[in-house]
Amino acid sequence: MAKLRLDRIKPLVALGVFLLAWWIIPTVVKSFLKASFSEFQAPAWVATSYLDDLENFWARRSHSKVELIEAGKEVARSKSLYQFNSQRKETLENEIQRLEAILNLPSRREFRYEVARVVRRDLSAWWQQIVIRKGKDFDIPVGAAVVFSGGVVGRVVEVGALTSRVELVTSPNFRMAANFEGDERPVVYQGLPQSGFGDPLGTVRDAPQDVVASTQIPLKLVSTRLGGTFPPGLMVGRVSWLEPGSTGIFQSGEVELDARLLSLHEVAVLIPLYPIDLQNDVP
Amino acid sequence: MSDYDVHRGENPRIIFFFWIVMAATVTLVLGLGWRQLIAAQKYEEIEKRQTERRILKPGPRGDIYDRKGNLLVGNRAHYSAVVYLDDLRREFRAEYSKIIRAERAALKEAYQLKPLEEREDSQLTPDYNELQWVARQNVIQRYIDQINLITGRDDAVSTRAIIRHFNEQLLLPLPLVSDLKPDEYARLIEQVPVQSPIQIHTDTARYYPYGVAAAHTLGYVQKVNPDPDAIPSDGIKTYTFKTKIGKTGLEYYFDDLLSGETGTEIWRVDPLGFQDSLLDGVTPKQGENLITSIDIDLQMAAETALGERTGAAIALDVRTGEVLAIASHPSYDLNGLSPYIPRKTFGEINDRGAWLNRSLQLSYPPGSTFKLLTSIAGMRHGTITLQTEHDCQGVFRIGNRIYHCHARYGHGVVDEAAAIEGSCNIFYYAEGLRMGIDVLSAEAERFGFAERTGIEVPYETGRLVVPSKEWKRERVGAGWVPGDTANTSIGQGFLLVTPLQMATFIASIARDETRTQPTLRALSYAKAQQVNHGGEPVGLTRKQRAELWEGMERVVGDGGTGRLVQIDGLRIAGKTGTADFRAHGKEVNLAWFVGFAPVENPQIAVAVMVEGTSSLDSYHGGSTAGPVAKDIFLEFIEQYPERAGFQVAR
Repeated sequence: MAKLRLDRIKPLVALGVFLLAWWIIPTVVKSFLKASFSEFQAPAWVATSYLDDLENFWARRSHSKVELIEAGKEVARSKSLYQFNSQRKETLENEIQRLEAILNLPSRREFRYEVARVVRRDLSAWWQQIVIRKGKDFDIPVGAAVVFSGGVVGRVVEVGALTSRVELVTSPNFRMAANFEGDERPVVYQGLPQSGFGDPLGTVRDAPQDVVASTQIPLKLVSTRLGGTFPPGLMVGRVSWLEPGSTGIFQSGEVELDARLLSLHEVAVLIPLYPIDLQNDVP
Repeated sequence: MSDYDVHRGENPRIIFFFWIVMAATVTLVLGLGWRQLIAAQKYEEIEKRQTERRILKPGPRGDIYDRKGNLLVGNRAHYSAVVYLDDLRREFRAEYSKIIRAERAALKEAYQLKPLEEREDSQLTPDYNELQWVARQNVIQRYIDQINLITGRDDAVSTRAIIRHFNEQLLLPLPLVSDLKPDEYARLIEQVPVQSPIQIHTDTARYYPYGVAAAHTLGYVQKVNPDPDAIPSDGIKTYTFKTKIGKTGLEYYFDDLLSGETGTEIWRVDPLGFQDSLLDGVTPKQGENLITSIDIDLQMAAETALGERTGAAIALDVRTGEVLAIASHPSYDLNGLSPYIPRKTFGEINDRGAWLNRSLQLSYPPGSTFKLLTSIAGMRHGTITLQTEHDCQGVFRIGNRIYHCHARYGHGVVDEAAAIEGSCNIFYYAEGLRMGIDVLSAEAERFGFAERTGIEVPYETGRLVVPSKEWKRERVGAGWVPGDTANTSIGQGFLLVTPLQMATFIASIARDETRTQPTLRALSYAKAQQVNHGGEPVGLTRKQRAELWEGMERVVGDGGTGRLVQIDGLRIAGKTGTADFRAHGKEVNLAWFVGFAPVENPQIAVAVMVEGTSSLDSYHGGSTAGPVAKDIFLEFIEQYPERAGFQVAR
C-alpha cells in the first residue's frame, strides 16, 4: 500500500528535485544553459524561416505572367523613384558635410544597415520580442536599433551565432528617448502591455506643458539623436491626447503605434560605424 | 449531584473566587469597551503615526509673461537620476554579508599574525554599524558608476550623504546624479534597463527664454526646505521635497501668486520605514501665471542699447504708469542661476557689481534733468515768467565762489526755453537763488522725489535725498549756504534720486500731473481707464506749460543738447543731464536723458542713466544716454506705430 503511494508521487518528487536543483545552481550556469538551449534551437528556427521563404517563393510562382509583368513595372517605377531620392540624399549629405566642415561641427553618429528576415515572435516574452535571422555572423551588437519602413521596431537585446532577439517597441520593457516632430525637447516613450486586440499602443511622458495634441491634429512622435541609439526623425507613433502627469506640469499620454508591427517580416538593424564618443559626438 | 452543587452558595472560598473572576471579567470588558469605544481614536492616531508617512510635493511655479503673451519666465525640465533605497534592500544585505565575511577573515588573519602577548587587546569583532554604511555606499556607488559609464560623468556618493538621506528622507528618492543635460538624460532613458532601480526623475527648474533681459526685475528663485508651519501637525511623519521661493524681483514680490499648490502622498510603511503601499494622493498644481506690463521688444531694445555700459534704462506708459521696459546693467543671465547658483557664478556677478538693480536700488544726482523741476517750481512760485531772461557769460559768482556754466563762453541772453534747450546753469543758479531752497525742496517733494515709488520690485532704495535746511543741519551738521541752493537747482549737491523716479517724473510732466505710480502688472483695459496716480495737476498755466515743453522739444532739436535723439516724424520732448558722482572710489560722470513722445499726445516716457566706471570716461547726457533713449523710441514706433502717431497701412 505504502509502495503504491510512493509510486504515485514520484513525478512530483522528480519535479521538486528539478526545481530545487534549478533554484540552487548558480546564475552563470543558468545563463549558460539558457543560451545553449537557445543556440541549439536556432538552426531549427532558421531552417523553418528559410522554408517559409521557399513557400512564399512557390506561392508567388503561381502568379500569372501578366501579374508578374505589372508587379515588375511597379518595382521599376519604385526603383527609379528611390534612385532619384538616393541621388538627392547623397547631394544633401555632401552639402551637410561641407557645412559641418565650415562650421567645424563635431561628427554625427553614422550607421550601416543590416537587413534581416524575421524568424519568429517569441511566445515566452508575450509576443513582445522577435527573433531575426542574423546574429554574430553579421556583427550585430546588443543594443543596436532595429527599424522598418514604418519607423522604429525595437532594440537588439540578445545576439546568438545565427539569430538575434529584438525587444519590440510595443514591449513594456522597451524605453527610448524621443521628441515630437518639430520640437527638440526630449520626452520618454515606453511600451505598454498590449491588449491583444486593436493597434499596438505605447505611452509617452515628460511632455512639456505647452505641447498640445488632439485627435484632429495628432502629434508625430519621432526618435531623437540625443539617446545615441537611433538616428533622428524615425517614426515612433502618433499622440492624440496628453494630460497633466503627477508632477503637475509635464504631460503624459498614449502613443498609437504602427499596426504593421504586429506582422513584421523584414527589418533593418542599424549598426553604429564607430563607438559613441561621449565628449565629441553631436548629442 | 456534582461536588460543585454541594458547595454552591455555601463555600465562601468559591464565592470569593467567583467574585474575583467576575471582577476581572468586568474589568476586562470595561477595558475593552474603553479602548474600542472611547479611546479608539487615540489608538487610531497612534497606529497612523506608526504606519503612515506623508510626502509633500511642491507644485510648479506659475509662468511670467510680457504684455503681449511672450514667455519671460517658465519652467523647464530638470533631469536627475534617482533611486528609491527600498529597491536596493536585497543588494544592501548581500553586500553587507560579503563585506562582513571579508572583514572577519581579515581581522582573523591579522589576529593570528600578532604576537601572543598582543592578542588579548586585539579586536576580533568588526564595527557592524560602519560596515553597514560601507555596504550601502558600495551598492549605491555601483549604480552611479553605471550612470557615469553612460554619460561620461565622474560622480560619486559620500557616506555622509547616504546617512543623512536615511535619517531624514528615507521615503524620498536618493538623487544619484542631478542636473543632467538633455543628451545625458536621453542616453540614460535608452541605456538603463527599465527594470533597473535607477529612475530618471523629471523635476522643474526656472527657465528664462530671454536670458539677461530684465534680469533684476524678474528675479530668481532659490530651493529651500518648506516652511515647517505648512506641514500638517497631525503627527504623521512628513517628508518634503525642497520648494522654490522667489528671492528677488517679481519672483519675490509675487511669490504667493506664483507658488504652486503642494501635492500630497500618504504612504503605508513597513516596520523599517520603507514604503509599502500608496494610500492617498493629491497631485500638485501649478501656481498662477503673472502677466507683466513689460514689452519684451522694448526691453530687448533697452538692453541692447545699454550694451556693455553701466546704467539703467526705463520706459513707462505715460497714461497708466505701466513699465514697458526696465533694464539695469551690468546684468546677468538668469539661466545661470537655475536650478541653483553656482559659487563661481555668484562670485563673478558679485565682482562685476551686477547684483545691484541700478534702476531702483541705487540713487544718483539727477544733474541737469532736474532743471525741469526748478523751472516748474519757479513758474509756480512766480519767480520765472515768460519774460524772464538771464545773460549767461559762462560764470556766476555766489559770495566769493565762482560757479561755471558748461558752456565756457556762456549762452548769452537766454529765456527759460533757451535755458532748457542749452541746459544753461547760470539761468538756474540765478533762479534757484531767487526762489530759495524751501520752494525747490517743497516742489521736489510734491513730485515724490523724497519717497519710494512703490513699484512691485523689492529692495527699492530708501536713500533718496531732497535736501533742505533742516536736512543739512541734521545729517551734515552744517548750515545751509546759497551755494547749496545753486547746486540743488541744477540737480547736483546733496540731491539723490533713482532712475525709476526720474522716469515717473518725466511721465508725470507728460501727463501734467505731479505723480506717476509705476506698475509692472499689465492692466486690463477697464483698469487702465481708471488709473489714479495719486497726485495733483502740476499747476502751470497753459502758456507756462507750453514754454516748458517748447524748451524740452528744442533740447531734441538741431541746436539742443539732445539732438542725437532726433527721430524723423516723432516729436520728442526731453532733457539731458551730466552729473558728477563719486562711485567705485573715484569721481565719475553720470549721463542722463529723460523724455517723452509724441509731444502732441504723450504715450511713452523714457529715462536713461549711464554711469561712468572710470575717471577717463567722458560721458554726456546727450551723446551717451541720448542714443539709448533713441533706440527705445525707435522700437516703440516699430511696435506701436499708431500710438507714436505714425500712419499704418491697412
